[in-house]
Amino acid sequence: MDFTFTEDQQLFADSVKDFLQGEITAESIRASWETETGRSDELWAQITELGLPAMLVPEEFGGLGMTELDVVLMAIECGRVALHEPIVEMAMVATPLLAALAPNNEKCADLLGQIAGGEAKVAIAHTVNHVVADAHIADYLILPHADQIHLVAQADVKLEAQESVDPSRRLSTVDWTPSEATCIASGAEGVALLAATLNRGALASAAQMIGLAEAMVARSVQYSEERQQFGKPIGVNQALKHHMANCAVKTEFAKAPLYRAAYVLSMKPESADFAISHAKVVAGEAALFAAKNSIQLHGAMGYTWECDLHIWMKRSWALDKFWGHAGFHKNRTHQWLMNPNAQIGADNTFGAVAI
Amino acid sequence: MKLSFSAEDELFRKEVAAWLNDNLVGEFTQLKFRGGPGDEHMFPEERKAWEQKLAEGGWTCVGWPKEYGGRGCSIEQQVIFNEEYARCGAPGHVGHIGEGLAGPTIIAFGTEEQKQKYLPGIVAGKELWCQGYSEPGAGSDLANVKTKARFDEEKGKWIINGQKVWTSLAHESDYVFVIARTDPDSVAHKGLGFFLMKMDQPGIEVRGIEQITGTSEFNEVFFDDAECEADDIVGAPGEGWKVAMGLLGFERGVSTLGQQMQFQNELNQVIDIAKENGAYQDPTIRQRIAKAHTELKIMRYNSMRMLSGQGGGDGSLQKEALIYKLFWATWHRSMGELAMDVMGPESEILDGGPYELSRLQSMYLFVRSDTIYGGTNEIQRNIIAERGLGMPKEPRVAAK
Ligand SMILES: Cc1cc2nc3c(=O)[nH]c(=O)nc-3n(C[C@H](O)[C@H](O)[C@H](O)COP(=O)(O)OP(=O)(O)OC[C@H]3O[C@@H](n4cnc5c(N)ncnc54)[C@H](O)[C@@H]3O)c2cc1C
Repeated sequence: MDFTFTEDQQLFADSVKDFLQGEITAESIRASWETETGRSDELWAQITELGLPAMLVPEEFGGLGMTELDVVLMAIECGRVALHEPIVEMAMVATPLLAALAPNNEKCADLLGQIAGGEAKVAIAHTVNHVVADAHIADYLILPHADQIHLVAQADVKLEAQESVDPSRRLSTVDWTPSEATCIASGAEGVALLAATLNRGALASAAQMIGLAEAMVARSVQYSEERQQFGKPIGVNQALKHHMANCAVKTEFAKAPLYRAAYVLSMKPESADFAISHAKVVAGEAALFAAKNSIQLHGAMGYTWECDLHIWMKRSWALDKFWGHAGFHKNRTHQWLMNPNAQIGADNTFGAVAI
Repeated sequence: MKLSFSAEDELFRKEVAAWLNDNLVGEFTQLKFRGGPGDEHMFPEERKAWEQKLAEGGWTCVGWPKEYGGRGCSIEQQVIFNEEYARCGAPGHVGHIGEGLAGPTIIAFGTEEQKQKYLPGIVAGKELWCQGYSEPGAGSDLANVKTKARFDEEKGKWIINGQKVWTSLAHESDYVFVIARTDPDSVAHKGLGFFLMKMDQPGIEVRGIEQITGTSEFNEVFFDDAECEADDIVGAPGEGWKVAMGLLGFERGVSTLGQQMQFQNELNQVIDIAKENGAYQDPTIRQRIAKAHTELKIMRYNSMRMLSGQGGGDGSLQKEALIYKLFWATWHRSMGELAMDVMGPESEILDGGPYELSRLQSMYLFVRSDTIYGGTNEIQRNIIAERGLGMPKEPRVAAK
């Protein structure tokens, strides 16, 4: 048993962190709100150079051949800066689906090569979401239709933009007609891939929410030193210390379920539902709790558009509901527990997925 | 104890309902269920017209004494009025700061002249007020106000210099009540004055502050040699704090009755959505709805209990009143979270662009501020513990 990351995994996360901390600021995020696509080609070129879009793609298809466990720390870092570029979803949700089909599907294999080379982008839909993120800048869309999965060129669908509460997010509804030519999976295979996709999406969101939560607490701690009331920094007040300490406990303790979820998904994806739902619920709680207490700590300032806090707060709001909201995932946990074969005894710390 | 309304009160209820039924029609129909928490910036002109319509029928300031233009309603009648007002979805009062705060303060602490000058405009629904308390350096530490008031003998007027912030509806208001330092060498709550000032004057500048909702309900207000008539100070110079605190008592008193009924409307909307989209099938949602409902009843009963004991309505800070702010604000904030969880994935998607929040989305954001304005939750807890329970006081550094 070892609950730590390897040195390589840490190094990779650190290098991405350095890059993101250097490039992404509240100002650059706000600037992206003013642009038509909200996305930057230059930034994407840098992201591609780091190999991020094809992290989870096997080397034979041009990727880095990493696993969820290798990249979960990176996803946290993307959340920490409230990254607006769609790298997490593309790398952790869309490309793994294509990679699963690539050995027998040339179209998928080709597309993976283009993604790895930064020549193409792909967005992914799922019935659990009512909208698709970043379809507007995607060359291809992965679209479910009953038990089928289709790969459709963006030019062949009609997108209708939907505004999000988070001005960084660009969402669309998609009007399209399935055809035999676009179908890349169906039947049992389609169902299994869609189920795996849901889990990957939930994991990606959960990881980002941990980063969001930590970033909000860090900002609040800093503000609590700067803002003075009653002749002293507001942070000296125990009430505020307790707010932040409670957030820290929630976030820190959400990490273990998150890491476990990444581990199970990378080792035994067919048994990952429980671990994933667990992680998504606790990460969502941590992020929303941090958002609530951070606004509270900022006083009226936290209720303004000018204060950067809302960038993180609104992303938390959106991601908590995306890839299955808390109710959805709690119900899944409940179903898993009530299963007559549920392995929940004292000797089942790691349950059926002790791998 | 008597937990029912008299036959006479029920007749009054019919009268209110009939009037609203006859008058909340035509051009006013679009205002139904509008102007509540998070929606204050909507339809200002139309809601002003509605306020005046109410005034024509004698339905503004219903709890004020008749001699000041009120209706002299009993507590029971005020409860009933608010119930009926909310039941038919009549809009949030644009004049609530005048009716709920400025007016009662002037009645309690003002001179006869001030009453004659200011109360009729409030009763008529024609003159709107805003509250100039907070400053950049004076939020929770309200007594740290730096805005200065100097009496100019030549002009025979008070001259005000300084800055207020977070001033709700300043951009719509005719008057502002301001706390400012009359004794430049004073600190904390000594040496303050409470001033009634006209907004439309060269010395006052209002700048909107964009809120987390993308809309702008509060403002910065700059005073640069702004003038206030000699007679428009409430209480003596140096006694402003007493008046300011008396006003906060009103903020937490009768003026909360209408608010609860708005809460009920919001909760009903959440329940409707839960039924519509199937969220009610989720047992955790069902339990949270039930909890929200029972807690709303707790608030309702306790505010009646609190009002029953209030007697003269002198606006003094009561322990129950303090508990009430903490309770409702925290309740409302949780209700926002419940609403978003009931909406599920739809909660992220706006009605349209640019940044057009749905009513419940903007409610969810707005309620984040309920636990901040009018005394933050942390400050409320301090007051309950220190003043209510007599726990040792936090050491206070003397303000500079
Ligand atoms: C929507 C909205 C409308 C408003 N409208 C008006 C208005 O019309 N007129 C007006 O005058 N003001 C208005 N305000 C301002 C409001 O009254 C202040 O925001 C409030 O008093 C808190 O002050 P602050 O924002 O400066 O926060 P701060 O005082 O800076 O507080 C920041 C944090 O520190 C905590 N804190 C501070 N001191 C202590 C302590 N001793 N112990 C424990 N915790 C502490 C607070 O609880 C808070 O969490 C409005 C505010 C909002 C959000």
